[in-house]
Amino acid sequence: MSGSLATALRVEALLWRRSTVRRISTPLLVALVPVASVGMTALARSGAVAGPGAAKLADYAVGPLGATHLAVCGQVLSVALLMAGGFALAAAFGQPLADGRAGALFGLATPRGALALARCVVVVGWAAACAVAAVGLTVGLSAAATAAAGEAFGPEAWEGAGRTLVAGLLAAGLAVPFAAVATATRSPLATVGALIGVVALTQLVVVVGAGAWFPYAVPSLWTGTGGPDAAAAVNPAALWLTAAVAPVATTAVVHQWRRLTDV
Amino acid sequence: MTALLLDAVGHAFRRRTALAGLSLEVSPGEVVAMVGLNGAGKTTALRVLTGRLRPASGTARVLGEDPTSMAMRTARRFGHVVGTPLVSPDLTVAENVRVAALLHGLPDRELPAAGAVIDALDLGPWTGAPARTLSLGNAQRLGIACAVVHRPVALVLDEPTSALDPRGVVLVRELVRSLADDGAAVLVSSHHLDEVARVADRVVVVHAGRVVGELEPGGSDLERRFFGMVLDADTADAAGTAA
Repeated sequence: MSGSLATALRVEALLWRRSTVRRISTPLLVALVPVASVGMTALARSGAVAGPGAAKLADYAVGPLGATHLAVCGQVLSVALLMAGGFALAAAFGQPLADGRAGALFGLATPRGALALARCVVVVGWAAACAVAAVGLTVGLSAAATAAAGEAFGPEAWEGAGRTLVAGLLAAGLAVPFAAVATATRSPLATVGALIGVVALTQLVVVVGAGAWFPYAVPSLWTGTGGPDAAAAVNPAALWLTAAVAPVATTAVVHQWRRLTDV
Repeated sequence: MTALLLDAVGHAFRRRTALAGLSLEVSPGEVVAMVGLNGAGKTTALRVLTGRLRPASGTARVLGEDPTSMAMRTARRFGHVVGTPLVSPDLTVAENVRVAALLHGLPDRELPAAGAVIDALDLGPWTGAPARTLSLGNAQRLGIACAVVHRPVALVLDEPTSALDPRGVVLVRELVRSLADDGAAVLVSSHHLDEVARVADRVVVVHAGRVVGELEPGGSDLERRFFGMVLDADTADAAGTAA
């Protein structure tokens, strides 16, 4: 690792540690996702929900308890990490351009490209750590809940935990293009608008049946949002395509920051 | 060797001309003040000099290098505050200075000594305070501290005393003079003619995107001579247009 990148990582890690976005979103991701996963499954199996709500929760009302907890966790996490990562990168890249702080990053011994790369690594690394923590906590809560229900936390639950973790990591990587959007628009709000637009577009793509190949639909479909058939339609090539989004977008962002002008 | 150079630099934002062949140079050990009315082109010139704006024509050099593609060894000797400084509102004063030292390429072993700039600019009482809680004047001093923490040999400051109280003005003036006395080339833009007269070795007048003359810093009635120079430039432009 070059000295410049090491310095950039050190600085960006400190900036991210102090940021308000991180302080707010970390507990939401790490605590709320596991609680929602176990809570929604319990709600579905309680019989307390009737009408359209019950139909929405029907998939969670049956099947092994542990595997269901982890499936719900994957479905929530794949959207939550994309949104949190997108917001984080919108703030980290868009705000300094909007308020003029980016201008101070010119003429430094630490190149802007190294700073942009470090910023992507730090934010995606944070999102990945949140995914690991959320899945770990869900496994812990689920193990306790299955034991209380007299069920075993079986191999299918562990397989679900692995799938959920991979889906979370993929979703974190899918946030990186929004760093490029923030750089191009120089606006965190416009970037959030683009993020919401992509989420809406993903719904449309899934409705027309092309979701298995659309990277932004892949993590949640693979964890069962569209049912078992839709999950089975996501093949390894689609997963690799989704995984490629982060490195390609990171390369683009670094190039953008190297070529930045009129700041 | 000229440390800071703008040579026949021209630039327009859409149809509005911001720089019209502006040329100036600053030698090592020299403080040059750039004065002019709002919209004269001062900040645009400084943005070109710091690599933030690629001009449509002309040449910019910092320590002999193009500021848009400065080598790391050159960047280590350069500092600037043009507009928003190298300050994060979420970090404390001490953390901001430390981060600036790192980004300017100072090695770890020199970081403790770099903190001396906090005392030099009288920011000691706010060392542990987040930058977002500072008053405008203290925030401006912090920005300057972050720009000079590595004792640059070429320094560009845009309106460095605009928000400072009289004591802050004196501190910044002494800092700028001490850097120049150590051999640094300093280019300062300002609206405050009396202030620049106290700190600058030369005062260049910028108007309508170009240098229209120089004022003697030690002379009397600086304001009258400044407006006279601006009026002469406008009159000459009007005559040229009519012809």
